[in-house]
Amino acid sequence: MPHTTRPDNCPGGWLPTLSDQKVTLLVDRVTKSFNEFVAVDELSLKVRPGHVFGLLGPNGAGKTTTIRMIVGITAPDSGRIELFGQPMSRKLQDRIGYLPEERGLYKKMRVGEQLRFFGELKNLKGRNAERSIDHWLERLKLMDWKNKKASELSKGMQQKIQFIAAVMHDPDLIILDEPFSGLDPVNAELLKEIVLELKAAGKTIIFSTHQMQLAERICDDICLINRSRKVLDGSIREVKRSFGRNSVALRIEGGDGLLEDPTLVAKVERHADEVEALLAGGASAQELLRRLLEVGAIVSKFELVEPSLNDIFIEKVGASE
Amino acid sequence: MNKFLAVVKREYVQRVRSRMFVVATVLGPVMLLLFTVVPALIASIKTGGPTRIAVVDESGKLYERVRQSILHGREEEGEAEPATVAANTANESQQQRIERAGSAIQQSFDVQQVKTDGGSLEDLRRQLDERVRRDELDGYLILPRNILEGGEAEYHARNTGDVFTRGHVKQRLTYAVRDQRMAERNIQPSIMRDINSPVRMKTTKAGEGGGREDSGQGFYLVFAVGFIIYLTILMYGQVILAAVIEEKETRIAEILFSSVRAFPLMMGKLIGVSLVALTQFAIWGVVFAVFALYGVGMLAAQGMSVSIPQIPLPLVVYFFLFFLLGYFIYSTVYALVGSMVTTAQEGGQIALPIIFLLVIAFYLAFPVIRSPNSSFAFWVSMFPFFSPITMLVRIVTQTPPFWQIALSLALGFGTVVLLMWLAGRIYRTGMLMYGKRASIPEVLRWIRQA
Repeated sequence: MPHTTRPDNCPGGWLPTLSDQKVTLLVDRVTKSFNEFVAVDELSLKVRPGHVFGLLGPNGAGKTTTIRMIVGITAPDSGRIELFGQPMSRKLQDRIGYLPEERGLYKKMRVGEQLRFFGELKNLKGRNAERSIDHWLERLKLMDWKNKKASELSKGMQQKIQFIAAVMHDPDLIILDEPFSGLDPVNAELLKEIVLELKAAGKTIIFSTHQMQLAERICDDICLINRSRKVLDGSIREVKRSFGRNSVALRIEGGDGLLEDPTLVAKVERHADEVEALLAGGASAQELLRRLLEVGAIVSKFELVEPSLNDIFIEKVGASE
Repeated sequence: MNKFLAVVKREYVQRVRSRMFVVATVLGPVMLLLFTVVPALIASIKTGGPTRIAVVDESGKLYERVRQSILHGREEEGEAEPATVAANTANESQQQRIERAGSAIQQSFDVQQVKTDGGSLEDLRRQLDERVRRDELDGYLILPRNILEGGEAEYHARNTGDVFTRGHVKQRLTYAVRDQRMAERNIQPSIMRDINSPVRMKTTKAGEGGGREDSGQGFYLVFAVGFIIYLTILMYGQVILAAVIEEKETRIAEILFSSVRAFPLMMGKLIGVSLVALTQFAIWGVVFAVFALYGVGMLAAQGMSVSIPQIPLPLVVYFFLFFLLGYFIYSTVYALVGSMVTTAQEGGQIALPIIFLLVIAFYLAFPVIRSPNSSFAFWVSMFPFFSPITMLVRIVTQTPPFWQIALSLALGFGTVVLLMWLAGRIYRTGMLMYGKRASIPEVLRWIRQA
């Protein structure tokens, strides 16, 4: 991977540090509205260097608008955005790599030329550009397509090219808006691997999605926004802990009657071959297990489930509907 | 600046290398040739044999003249007639115009005389009608005894809808009758020719020592420049529109805007596409020049003297600058429209009315020619959408002070930059609200907002 030496006077963003004082990106009480519609309302974020930050929320929550302000496409109405400890500026734009959700390629341009052009727009030129393009095409298994026109590529391939365009200039902050949508499992896995590599190389990554399972596997920190406002944020650990929800995954034969008991179980979700039981307030998992054994049920699986991001998402977002 | 150049380079290289460009560059002149030469060729196609006309001359004096006239025309036809023709053009009817056009077309005739031999005219008509029916004749002409005193001739033909033949016959008959009348009054046709010959007038621009002859050449050049601007806009307006819309349609806009501002992007597109147009024109220009030089050489070799029009160098520079201005100001309109719409089709419809301003500029040239130093002329030559034509007209008629020319150019190019800046703002704001076309109040709001 091409490495550029960074000047010493740029704080943050290059050595992974767990110190909470250092932030790659600071969004401070930012508001943006279009006419009467408030797209982002008093949003504050801190993105730690060298971490993967998940910006989560349903469609239309304000994720894209937030990202556009971070990238410098639109200016906030009020509030402050700081990147690498400096106020957002044109110069800093070159240190961001952005894969928007609305993305495309020049259909009639060859892949190589196309990437060269995107590189030039980030001030990546000449031999450095060439080296980086080859490195990434190799990494994403697209080398054979370098001289093909974009229109000859499959949608998944195009998406990988767009991803290269976002990372080829070795940015310190990489923003990926729904990067996995439309990718087959093999390519999604490849991309996930690369994201984790970039993280290991000290890059800061902001990852926006409404696919919670993915976010859960990749993100260190998350921020959930809904209807223009922040609903919750923190590290995934913290969020889950604060969301202590009593739920048990079960695979049982017999004892179904117990699951109907409202003093014990508040809600039952039936999956293919197992059942997820949300315990009622005051009931404990121990008690459920004891009662199940009492009635002679055969228990082949009994697992305390911590809330998934999906559950949290549905609860938090659903609650406001 | 680097990013701007990257945009220019991409637009230029992609387009010049495209198959469309190569085809258009090669086919352009071929098409032009096709459109000018082919219609003339088609119109001159002769079908069938000569038109056979029988002439019944009751006056007994005209047949020979009529035959000569129809078969060979009149020797002074080309010289004396234009004067009268020009005078009549204004109030001649459509039919007359067609008839005159007919006389210009090469057509061969076969004329034969039919004697009355004392028989009645009715019998003769029946007889001749019969011959026309049997396809021995195409038509016949009956000249009454009093034709020289204004009597009415009769023309019977199978195909009376053939306005060209009818016009031809009528005109040639007129010549014959006129010559006969002159002959009877003892007037030589050559005298008539002298009387009718038009006045010749030499026009010279006042104040230019040496009295260089100026037959309005500069003026035609202005119209040529205007026409080239118009042609270029027709050819490249849509290209600019498409270039501006390209990133919206391919959804690349957001990627670009995370790296480059809207203004350099818009400007880069405009300049890139313009360089493509100039490249194409340069290729055509060189090819044309080579052929022209070759042609001149051939003529010179045959001992013919060819005078190449002399245009002073400053004038050439002005022509070029105002051509560029005209091209840019109008293509900017397309860029502006492109920034507002989402598809190329709807854009073209919106841009077209604005190109109408160019037509107005053509018409404004006339009052400006008459009084090139009036304040009216001054103002219209400062208005960017008119100045490419009106200022050029002033320069060739009565060159205004240099500061006025400079000011006109500065205003023009300033407007181009301003409009492009505006296009950038509209584009960026519009992009953030994808998928819908902007209404005018919305656009105004975007400009303030962005």
